[in-house]
Amino acid sequence: MGHRNRGAAALALAGAAVLVRAPGGTAIRRVRRSWDWRMAVEGGSMLPALRPGDWLLVDPHGFDQGRPAAGDLVVVPDPRLTERWLVKRVWAVDPDGRLDVRGDSPAASTDSRTFGAVDPATIVGRPWLRYWPIRRGGRVG
Amino acid sequence: MLTRLIGALAPRRTVHAHCDIPCGVYDPQQARIEAESCYKIIQKYNDSSDELFRARCIVVKEERADLAKHHIDVMWHDYFKPEHVEKFADLHETCWKASKQGSKVKQTVDINEAQKLLDLIDRIDHMWRETGGSTATRMQQLEPVGGAASDVAASAVKG
Repeated sequence: MGHRNRGAAALALAGAAVLVRAPGGTAIRRVRRSWDWRMAVEGGSMLPALRPGDWLLVDPHGFDQGRPAAGDLVVVPDPRLTERWLVKRVWAVDPDGRLDVRGDSPAASTDSRTFGAVDPATIVGRPWLRYWPIRRGGRVG
Repeated sequence: MLTRLIGALAPRRTVHAHCDIPCGVYDPQQARIEAESCYKIIQKYNDSSDELFRARCIVVKEERADLAKHHIDVMWHDYFKPEHVEKFADLHETCWKASKQGSKVKQTVDINEAQKLLDLIDRIDHMWRETGGSTATRMQQLEPVGGAASDVAASAVKG
């Protein structure tokens, strides 16, 4: 039962975080379009921002309003094996528009330093909300 | 109820934030040695009428074929880069077929299937050589270990 309450609380908190920090109808739409893009973080290359086991909502239209810029979180397919998705942060945008993505924890990250810059057209989405664990729930990015 | 709730909230997939710790050492010979073992084991299996021995052959062959698959996958996932794919249009196809052939060799005692696996690994080996080969991905062995040891043995005999 405790788990159930916690789960409900997570939902409530996710909802509250959205409503408080992003007023207006857009936030609700954002949750709805991200809901099918719930993703779990595996690995520690994004520490401290993202921890292994964090559950995120990823907005598939997160970059519709503007191109990714340095500092943005992105989910991109691993260029070496595209069915595997990576969560990284844009480190720099190359002059040709390709993204140099890195882990926040460079020593524990395999990223553009290994596989080169990634094509922004391949971006899966933009992580924007952590809904689990509740205590650290809220916006990410 | 709890399961349903967790199911409703649980993420649909994983996003990796991993480190491969790429050591940069790659050589298709690792796969080839395991595939050669499969080939020889199939020969020995077919030459034997000892049921216990044949059963052991099957077990060991499956292990070896699995290792061959692993080493093929490491070449595919970790060694080959996008520019290599541009150079060799059949790179993905070859690695995919080789990995599948590894599974085939697990299932069968047909020597021809083991030969096919060797041929596919040799094609990967060719692509590896053409994209840098051992100078790029192996440490240079300054003094062959075997050579040094036999020198000692030779001098001992002479002495």
